[in-house]
Amino acid sequence: MAKDVADSFSRPQDSPRRVEHRGLARRVGLSLLHSREASIAIAGIVLVVYFQTTAPAFLSPGNIANLAGYAATTAIIAAGEVMVLISGEVDLSVGQVYALSPFVMYYAHEAGVPFVLAILLGLMVASIVGIINGLLTVVLRIPSFIATLGTFYLINGFTLTISGGFPVQPKAGPTITTTFGGNAVSQSLWAIGIALVFQFVLRKMRWGLHTIATGGNLLGASEVGVKVGVIKVGNFILCSILGGLAGTLDAFRIGSIDPLAGGSEIMFMAIASAVIGGTLLTGGSGTIIGAFFGAIVLGILKDGFTLSGVSAYTFDMILGGAILITMLINVRLSLLRAAGGGQ
Amino acid sequence: MKTINLPSGAGLSRRDALRRAASAGALISLGPLAGFGVSTAEAAEEALGKFPKHPQWKFTFVNHVTTNPFFVPTRYGAEDACALLGCSYQWTGSEKSIATDMVNALNTAVSAGVDGIAVCLVDLAAFNDPVEKALKAGIPVVSYNADAKGNKRLCYIGQDLFQSGKGLGERIIELVPEGEVVGFIATPGQLNIQPRLDGAKAAIKESGKNITLNEIASGAALNDEVSAVEAYYAGHPNIKGMFAVDAGSTAAVAKAMAAHELQKKGVHAGGFDLLPTTLEAISKGDLDFTIDQQPYLQGFYTVMVLFLYKISGGLTGPSDIDTGLSFLTKANVEPFLKTQSRYEGNSSEEKVLKRSGAI
Amino acid sequence: MSKEVLRTEHVAKSFGAVTALEDVSIHLSKGEVLGLLGDNGAGKSTLMKILTGFHRPSGGKIYFEGIEIELKSVSHARSLGIEPVYQDLALVNGLNVYHNMFLQREIMYGGIFRILNDGAMRERAKKQLKEMGVHIPSVDVEIAKLSGGQRQAIAVARSVYANAKVLLLDEPTAAMGVKESTMILDLVRRLKEKGEVSIIIVAHNYAQIFDFCDRINLLQNGKITFDQRTNDTSVEQLTSLVVNEYRAARESIIRP
Repeated sequence: MAKDVADSFSRPQDSPRRVEHRGLARRVGLSLLHSREASIAIAGIVLVVYFQTTAPAFLSPGNIANLAGYAATTAIIAAGEVMVLISGEVDLSVGQVYALSPFVMYYAHEAGVPFVLAILLGLMVASIVGIINGLLTVVLRIPSFIATLGTFYLINGFTLTISGGFPVQPKAGPTITTTFGGNAVSQSLWAIGIALVFQFVLRKMRWGLHTIATGGNLLGASEVGVKVGVIKVGNFILCSILGGLAGTLDAFRIGSIDPLAGGSEIMFMAIASAVIGGTLLTGGSGTIIGAFFGAIVLGILKDGFTLSGVSAYTFDMILGGAILITMLINVRLSLLRAAGGGQ
Repeated sequence: MKTINLPSGAGLSRRDALRRAASAGALISLGPLAGFGVSTAEAAEEALGKFPKHPQWKFTFVNHVTTNPFFVPTRYGAEDACALLGCSYQWTGSEKSIATDMVNALNTAVSAGVDGIAVCLVDLAAFNDPVEKALKAGIPVVSYNADAKGNKRLCYIGQDLFQSGKGLGERIIELVPEGEVVGFIATPGQLNIQPRLDGAKAAIKESGKNITLNEIASGAALNDEVSAVEAYYAGHPNIKGMFAVDAGSTAAVAKAMAAHELQKKGVHAGGFDLLPTTLEAISKGDLDFTIDQQPYLQGFYTVMVLFLYKISGGLTGPSDIDTGLSFLTKANVEPFLKTQSRYEGNSSEEKVLKRSGAI
Repeated sequence: MSKEVLRTEHVAKSFGAVTALEDVSIHLSKGEVLGLLGDNGAGKSTLMKILTGFHRPSGGKIYFEGIEIELKSVSHARSLGIEPVYQDLALVNGLNVYHNMFLQREIMYGGIFRILNDGAMRERAKKQLKEMGVHIPSVDVEIAKLSGGQRQAIAVARSVYANAKVLLLDEPTAAMGVKESTMILDLVRRLKEKGEVSIIIVAHNYAQIFDFCDRINLLQNGKITFDQRTNDTSVEQLTSLVVNEYRAARESIIRP
């Protein structure tokens, strides 16, 4: 039967070489379609087409730059959440670390520390939050939902306290500002770079493999000797650092460091990006590239509807509906993929 | 060549199935979206009053708390002005005072090529570049409700915030000769309310009286504000006065004053804006006063300014408009309580409100 | 006399107030297949977990290749060559065959960056499975899509690849039908024929394992009550021992 199928793809007059080329193209195309990320990518393309037809300004260079504003930092946080989710946990506090890191950077700089170092200091404080989240979950065995909910409020209060509730402005020169998210290109490069790096870590490095094992079969993985505790804590640290980085990039983009920034909204958007991109909430399976596309899809929805002139009250209804529909498409396509015995 | 195992007996090849699902999904997503006020590309030509025919200009209002009840009269004002002048408006921004969301919305409005933008400048720096970009693209930008020094907007429509704060401070001095009072502010540092607190502090300082004003943040969501006020009072039962500088905090103070009958204990209170809870509290005597910044006008005049700018080709229109600072006390609060109107935001009915007697 | 590979002397294990093992002395020679039988709650899994380093015994001694040792951890036991094949197989559904086979022992490109060498792992996995006579359509498949027997085979292959000296199989055919069980038992038989690996197999189904075990131990109430070469005993004898245990237990309930 396999031979019949193979034959049905080639025509009698083709030379064997031509058959091979066409077969290769088809194989690549079909394997892309079978990848986890295909469904969210298809949904994204459908949305781009829809918005371009209803609002022709959608694909204008100016608006594509806007899309970066909606999607880039969410995608960065989503990359971290994917790792945590795959390992079987969740991080609700990342939106607060997003607000905290830029403040740490600001105060360090005010104290005389040069900017790049100040940014690293902000990320270091972020990693400490990650360590706290990890220890609460792994050592004290508090379910990560509760543990990170606790740190969510803790960090929020902490940020408000050290800032007195007042927003401040980062006083960096043009080079620092541009390098660290000052414009759409910079933001996009950061988001794409991080997505590629972490997808590589997930699929091609031991850390990623062990993260999947930890989330997929915690007991089994630990029985085999995988250091599941280290994996979980490590991923919490990664997620917090990415949250802090995202907050820093946005602070440079809008020129304001605000204790109200981030919060629960961006955290939910990041987790939503991860899930509609193909990462399971139950752990053991996920994709960073998918989350990247997920963030873009959410950004397209928000930008597209605003562009089309939708106002606030109906906006939320439509956004909610569109997210559900996108997820529905995603789930359907995944089922098709699974039924066909894809990768 | 690697062969692909098709599921045996499947009526549909996988590729076909995937294609069908994608197109079905696309169609499904288009359906419900069609009916939700998505504007069409053609502009309607209207000729109203003595104004000549003009396209239906579209103005985008970028707000920091899009779903906050305070701005409901503002939306009615914008709506009425648009109907009067043959324009339309979009109400967007952030729900929770998140600057990045507002900046995104502003930038999108610029890409959409709208005819005018009105934005609440609640942050000192975040909106400077986006507003400049909009102006460079030929889109007039004005600020309403909150203003920021150094921003290139064409004009500001709203209350003079620092002055209103001073007014608040002067009232506090009248009511509380000395002692500790608390000033609640929903979101410290935000430019639509912080200047009021600063003004109050300045007025108190100028007077030289022995009054300490404690600043307490109460949070941007109405429910949180009530809890914050209650919690503060529980910890400071000897406070002489509870004041607030935004709508939600004022309502929260009103609730706390009523719940614990604090007026009877000699505590004074007052704040800003005309939420129903606030008005009732004034009428019952739980709140001494509230300050009206006439939010309806912040929508109405803004549209007029942008319209005039467009129809005059930029020759006229922008001018700072102070939407006022009037004190509502028990003496003059009745008409507000008796009526429900678009101007107060608690009714969407279009009707003429009658009044009688001297002014 | 065959070389002794593993021995326990009076090993005991308690979890708080619960005594899982009272006094267990077993021994295993090189190339030998030892069948460990016993009812639920007799302590078989606990004993296995002690032998693999997952639990520490509360008392008693363990000897590996004649030398007294303390198994500090699972990794330590594995480094000695003691490999468990668990009831839940310790397989990760989201990973493919070769990633599962090499979990915790991945083949990597050199250097500080631990980059997985998928190509090498794929080839080795194929080779290993072929040598063991296990037929799996592709090593790239997610193991969630394989049958119970195939998954078990991969778990065993993982251990064999690791140059295990002692394989500890805990109820390998517990969740399987006849066809699948046969597959895995054939695999064990083939390993035994090669003679390089010593095996302890925990089981319920006496008939199943009787023919390829060299010796049978019966664990009852935390003690070894029976230790005979299979040639010297029969399935019936074992069954009667177990029935006697039931009778005694029932009587102790009626007449406390």
